[in-house]
Amino acid sequence: MNFEFFIMNGFGIYVWSAFAFTFIVCLFLYIRTRKTLKKLEKDFIKEANNLSEDQFEDIKNQKIAKEILISHSRS
Amino acid sequence: MIKYLNPSYVFKISGKLLNLFKTLLIPLVAIGLIFSLFLSPEDYIQGDSVRIMYIHVPSAWISLFGFAAISFFCILNFLFKLKNVTLIYKSLAPIGLTFNIVAIVTGSLWGQPTWGTWWAWDARLTSMLVLMFFYIAFIFSYKFIKSPDRSIKACTLISVLGLINIIIIKYSVEWWSTLHQPSSISLAKETTVHFSMLIPLGLMVFALFMYVAVIFLMKYRIETIRIKRKGFKKL
Repeated sequence: MNFEFFIMNGFGIYVWSAFAFTFIVCLFLYIRTRKTLKKLEKDFIKEANNLSEDQFEDIKNQKIAKEILISHSRS
Repeated sequence: MIKYLNPSYVFKISGKLLNLFKTLLIPLVAIGLIFSLFLSPEDYIQGDSVRIMYIHVPSAWISLFGFAAISFFCILNFLFKLKNVTLIYKSLAPIGLTFNIVAIVTGSLWGQPTWGTWWAWDARLTSMLVLMFFYIAFIFSYKFIKSPDRSIKACTLISVLGLINIIIIKYSVEWWSTLHQPSSISLAKETTVHFSMLIPLGLMVFALFMYVAVIFLMKYRIETIRIKRKGFKKL
């Protein structure tokens, strides 16, 4: 591997720091958002299962609720 | 048109788009990085430090477009009371704030080798910092103001004031003598960036906007599920 590439004529520390910072921030935001979404979907299903049969049927007929149930079962 | 604003329709479409964008994201970022770090030439004055531009510029644009979009949706919500619009601006604000911070930090890392300083209180840098405070104030106002009416009013006020700051950011390099260079890319004037650098920049803009779309759709779904869960408590 060409070491010169990493040094970038002395600018490597700035360039790699900028790219690394952006990558870490973006990764953190992605993981945190995904975790929250999965947790909320899970809690939604849990709460839906605790409803009475009639209430659950009502929820299942709602388009958004149906979509959450389907997407969670897929994942 | 009404169909496209219907929350259940938007929620259904968001699921499909999310899967598509997630699939495209990694190859796009990989291509963007290969061009930015390996294939693009170094600048004849700035040398390799110019590569920071490929993340600094898209981040700054996302942060500016993000706040402009938030202002637009806030005004729309203030005038027409559209519930779906609230979900859109709540999903956009954290993303805008993130990229505002990225733009400031990467700008600082670019400033040190180029200007010899990490930070200067010049008009462009200061107005970008002010935008960060507008984002924070905006997020606080919908998170901590419990009354929906008061929250909408506060959000609209902050977003309109922030919009004035966006105009200041845009023209700061023309109105004042700043350390920050004037914009090199313009729709109205000729672009001064060489084609060999425009390609990686365009690719990184596209890749980061794709990332924004993925996060936005996930956040939109989070906000929608939160509202649906509140409905359970009323049953």
